Amino acid sequence: MFDDLWFERLAGMGEGSDERAPARLKSKVYSAAIMRMAGSAPLLDLKETKNSGGHLCVFEHSVALLPMGTAIRSMNPCRVCHARVLGERMEHAPIFWPGCPYSEFHNG
Amino acid sequence: MDPNLPVMPGLAGEIPPPAEDSGEQELVAAILRNDRKAAARFVAAHIDAIYTYARQRLLPRADLVEDTVQEVFLAALGGLRHFQGQSSLRTWLIGIARHKIEDVYRRRLRAPESLDDTAQLDRDPPDAAPMVDEQLDTTRAREKARSVIARLPERYGLILLWRYWEQRSTRDIAQAVGVTEKSVERMLARARARFKQLWLEE
Repeated sequence: MFDDLWFERLAGMGEGSDERAPARLKSKVYSAAIMRMAGSAPLLDLKETKNSGGHLCVFEHSVALLPMGTAIRSMNPCRVCHARVLGERMEHAPIFWPGCPYSEFHNG
Repeated sequence: MDPNLPVMPGLAGEIPPPAEDSGEQELVAAILRNDRKAAARFVAAHIDAIYTYARQRLLPRADLVEDTVQEVFLAALGGLRHFQGQSSLRTWLIGIARHKIEDVYRRRLRAPESLDDTAQLDRDPPDAAPMVDEQLDTTRAREKARSVIARLPERYGLILLWRYWEQRSTRDIAQAVGVTEKSVERMLARARARFKQLWLEE
């Protein structure tokens, strides 16, 4: 009882099913990932993102339509969006825009 | 051997791989093109598994779970160009998580041992016969183990997780922490004794 073998059997019972990560954590990890990506090279132009099948939120869509250079369309509008702030700080954040990753983390 | 524990097949910590995903290489390629939506899909697809993995192995320090999960994803992004697709993304991420968690174990177990931990041993009851009569099903046993580990002194919980759930030998642990194997064995013996006391109390 309570020897090596007992502990090995207890540990061998495995993990059980996946728990859901808090939506707040998903939001923070996504924000950190985008910061990291944007720090190494410009993000993919929003027009190209859309053309490759990515769903844009209403703000990203507006930026994609701007008659400006690709530098603008490669920026990260989430940095100044309140959806990101809410998403990172609370569970069940009231974010409902289609195409917004923070909305998908909280409502998915 | 405790008759209350059912015999279960499988290795400790084994997480079934996700179904074959032919889109993984496309997802990786999209992330490497700095596609933000691909990054969102990547996080959404794998974060629950990484969170579960980290949470179950950092029970005594649940406050470290979220930082560890974030570190795993950032390390993965940094190394994604080296991902060859020889395993699934999930398996690859779990491998990164395992290293990050072992870093936590190593750091925490290198800290000097608290006198409270050893003093408690003196109050442990002598060897007693199992007092649990009911048949524990797997789910209940897992929950009970988690609950007991969470109540142990931090270093005891971590060393049990490292030795039995991560299946690392005492020699490996000793080398990683920078102590003798005997020292690890002594700490494990104390950890098992405290675990036993709490298990029988529950």
